[in-house]
Amino acid sequence: MTQPTKTLLERRYSMLGLLLIAPTVLVFCAVIVYPLVSAVYLSLFKIFTPTLEGSWVGLDNYRTLLAKGEFWTSLRNNLIWTVGTLSLQILFGVGMALVLHQNIWFRSLARSLILFPYFISTVVAVLVWKWLFNDLYGILNHLMMSAGLIAWPIDYLGSMPNAMISVILVGAWKYFPFVVIAVLARLQTIPEQLYEAARIDGAGPIARFFDVTLPQLRDVLVVIIMLRAIWDFKEFDLIFLLTGGGPVTSTQTLPLLVYKEAFALNQMGMASAYAVIMMLIMLVFMIVYIRRTRQEGS
Amino acid sequence: MADVVFANVQKRFGSFTAVEGLDLDIRQGEFICLLGPSGCGKTTTLRMLAGLEFPSGGEIRIGERVVNDVAPGERDIAMVFQSYALYPHMSVGQNIAYPLKKRRVPKSERAEMVAKTAEMLQLTPLLHRKPKELSGGQQQRVALGRALVRDPKVFLLDEPLSNLDAKLRGHMRSELIELHQRLGRTMVYVTHDQLEAMTMADRIAVMEGGKLQQFAPPQEVYRAPANRFVAGFIGTPGMNIADGVLRADDGAWVFEAPGLSVAAGDLTAEAQAGPAAMGIRPEGLSIGAGPIKGEVQVVERTGHENIVIVRVGDGMRMTCRTAPDRIWKVGETVQMAVDAAQAHFFAEGPTGRRLNRAGATGALLHPELKEATS
Amino acid sequence: MLKKIVFNLFAWSIVLMVAFPLFWMLVTSVKPQFELFSRPPTILPQNFTLEHYWKLLSDTNFLGYFWNSVILSTTTTIVVVAIATVGSYSLVRFRYRGRETLAFLVLFTYLLPSVVLILPLYLMLVNLGLSNTITSLVIAYTTFALPYALWLLRSFMAGIPEDLESAALVDGASRLGAFWDVILPQLLPGIISTALFTFILSWNEYLYALVLVNSDDARPLTTGVMNMLISSFNIEWSLLMAASVMMSVPLIIAFAFLQSYLTRGFGAGGVKG
Repeated sequence: MTQPTKTLLERRYSMLGLLLIAPTVLVFCAVIVYPLVSAVYLSLFKIFTPTLEGSWVGLDNYRTLLAKGEFWTSLRNNLIWTVGTLSLQILFGVGMALVLHQNIWFRSLARSLILFPYFISTVVAVLVWKWLFNDLYGILNHLMMSAGLIAWPIDYLGSMPNAMISVILVGAWKYFPFVVIAVLARLQTIPEQLYEAARIDGAGPIARFFDVTLPQLRDVLVVIIMLRAIWDFKEFDLIFLLTGGGPVTSTQTLPLLVYKEAFALNQMGMASAYAVIMMLIMLVFMIVYIRRTRQEGS
Repeated sequence: MADVVFANVQKRFGSFTAVEGLDLDIRQGEFICLLGPSGCGKTTTLRMLAGLEFPSGGEIRIGERVVNDVAPGERDIAMVFQSYALYPHMSVGQNIAYPLKKRRVPKSERAEMVAKTAEMLQLTPLLHRKPKELSGGQQQRVALGRALVRDPKVFLLDEPLSNLDAKLRGHMRSELIELHQRLGRTMVYVTHDQLEAMTMADRIAVMEGGKLQQFAPPQEVYRAPANRFVAGFIGTPGMNIADGVLRADDGAWVFEAPGLSVAAGDLTAEAQAGPAAMGIRPEGLSIGAGPIKGEVQVVERTGHENIVIVRVGDGMRMTCRTAPDRIWKVGETVQMAVDAAQAHFFAEGPTGRRLNRAGATGALLHPELKEATS
Repeated sequence: MLKKIVFNLFAWSIVLMVAFPLFWMLVTSVKPQFELFSRPPTILPQNFTLEHYWKLLSDTNFLGYFWNSVILSTTTTIVVVAIATVGSYSLVRFRYRGRETLAFLVLFTYLLPSVVLILPLYLMLVNLGLSNTITSLVIAYTTFALPYALWLLRSFMAGIPEDLESAALVDGASRLGAFWDVILPQLLPGIISTALFTFILSWNEYLYALVLVNSDDARPLTTGVMNMLISSFNIEWSLLMAASVMMSVPLIIAFAFLQSYLTRGFGAGGVKG
């Protein structure tokens, strides 16, 4: 088919559209596209961070990292962290949303309190939890001991598997409000007639949850899970600040490994290779998510 | 004199053709309805005229000026949207004044014109309200006011009444007719409601599948539909259309379908022996005596008439309009007759052309139509 | 009735458990140092004191960090929201080649991990001589804030009826005139909500600040306060909790006054992606 001829007006509008998007495109190219391309490029070099001098090594970095145990343990840690914290977030988040959807006293205050962990800085969250976790004076150990659950103070962050469990728990605490809000927003759009119809058909509260609520939540849950999986997978601040990847490397995830390689071991090229590999892993999730969003859009 | 002209206008969205080879000549001061089912291209046509969509081919002229490259604001048009599109953050007064403001009308003059328009539409007490504080009917009038305030050459109306309730719609219809008579401006009105089109329009442009099917005064569209689509689309209850064959019998055409046979008389040169269709409006059928045998299936009583649905032959249902004094019972076997003078014959296919010769049906004897077709 | 009370108590005990760490932060910050170590711990402070806040403001560089954070987050927000507002207008309401690809790229970068970009960005900013400046952080923050703001504003923009703009065009406005007269006022809640989110994201950012800034002149609160923890020999928990509270004050204000905007943005950007 021949290209339809465009009217002058249409062309003028297109030009204006391009003009308005130009700043975005410029900034994108400068701070996202260019760095992204150079990340791949850097991963082919051996670069010493303080001097930034490099030499071409080709795919050597990739060969080295795939043969290295540290990469695989970090990947495993990363998966344990992601799956662990994500499932808790979803479980708590959906449960809390169902509770907050009811007409409880001071509902909006309750909602604000629940939301707050999500909005505070990770630095604040980590400081508070470190203080709660404090082995000598932390309130957590005190409460557990006076309840008779433990005989001796627990080292929450300095030993395994405690450290991983603690990180997962704090992550769940910090990020489950996201699930609450998203699910709550969806719950409010479920038509009341569906519940009435189910009630008339003799469904109890549990049957109503499984037959009415859950199917209605399915779509939004899929989106939330993918989005949170992506974000949890790349989480740096929380883990870095809580344990620094320790004890030794038992909570070290891929983002921490990239940071360590680049700024502690000063191997910028190697770090880039880790980053690129990490991005490739995430790409799977991202593509699934993006395809889904586009489907919904069209 | 033609005021608005579409000359071979096309509109494609990607591979989808929304409007195809559209030719329309709209006279100055005419009230035109673009009528058709949703997706027929009528709104796209109006938006192209407004400059909100861009034709992929062809030419649009407003008062001798080609406007393909002219921005909407410079076309000397005003438009009323289906959603009203009132600016929510502006008061009623500011909404009506906006087109004047954009045309740099001095402030004092502006206030006067707004006041005059508001007075005409009984909006004066509402001038300081925000659109969301108004009822649907009031919002409608504000939208109208915004269009009227600056006396444009052409008014475009995109289903302006479809969001109103039935009673208000009837009221607004007569107000619009009155307005058109008073202003004498060209109006192009998009609707899917044939009642609106029949009651208001000077001429109706019936569209389907992006193509213009017929462009004629309402009575002609009703009585001499250009093709099978128009015949089926216009009229409530719809025209009965029977598929069958045309046969030449001693120089005269005969239409035959299972259970009926009608003398078609003199048809146009396009008529061919073979598959064809016959259309007959419910009022062209009579129950009581006649060659067609059927069984009454449904009887709807409206008070001033009865609508009787009769099953004929191998299951075809025919709708019949009868006087209210005779009640037909469901299940009753009846005889029916077709008034051959009111029968229409169409060539094969969903948009098969009408084959009747002009004047061949009784309907075409009206003098007003003769003038329009000539 | 009883069922309702039991359910409410149950609901509120969970809410309070979730909020407890924040309550504990507040309580610790107003206890004198010695009270922290009392056994059993006091739930409400027995000796209320603001000495830690005073110390924070007078003896540490907290105010400096705070000011850096304010400048950094405000600048980032203004730059990003301005670019994203016109950008999203273009993405939603104009037709040109590559528009779809661009929208896809925005979503892609919105999900991109910072650690991938941080190494080349670090090199780039060092080469530009911008390391250890607030400017370097503003540039770095646009990498996550701009895709985010674009994505949010795009869905707000798509929610504005196209007819409004069409009406303005027919009424005689130019495209930009219609944008200014009709779209911007309608977009305002979306802009406010996007600005708030961008501000919060920038205010809370840690990784870029850690890597790109190594001097107290440009250090924002996140790394600054963390430094106070690491560099002190004796960890003063009350002081750190006071710092945490102070650091959260802008968020609390934003949250309390603009909760409706926040949740709206959350709905638009968070759920739809």
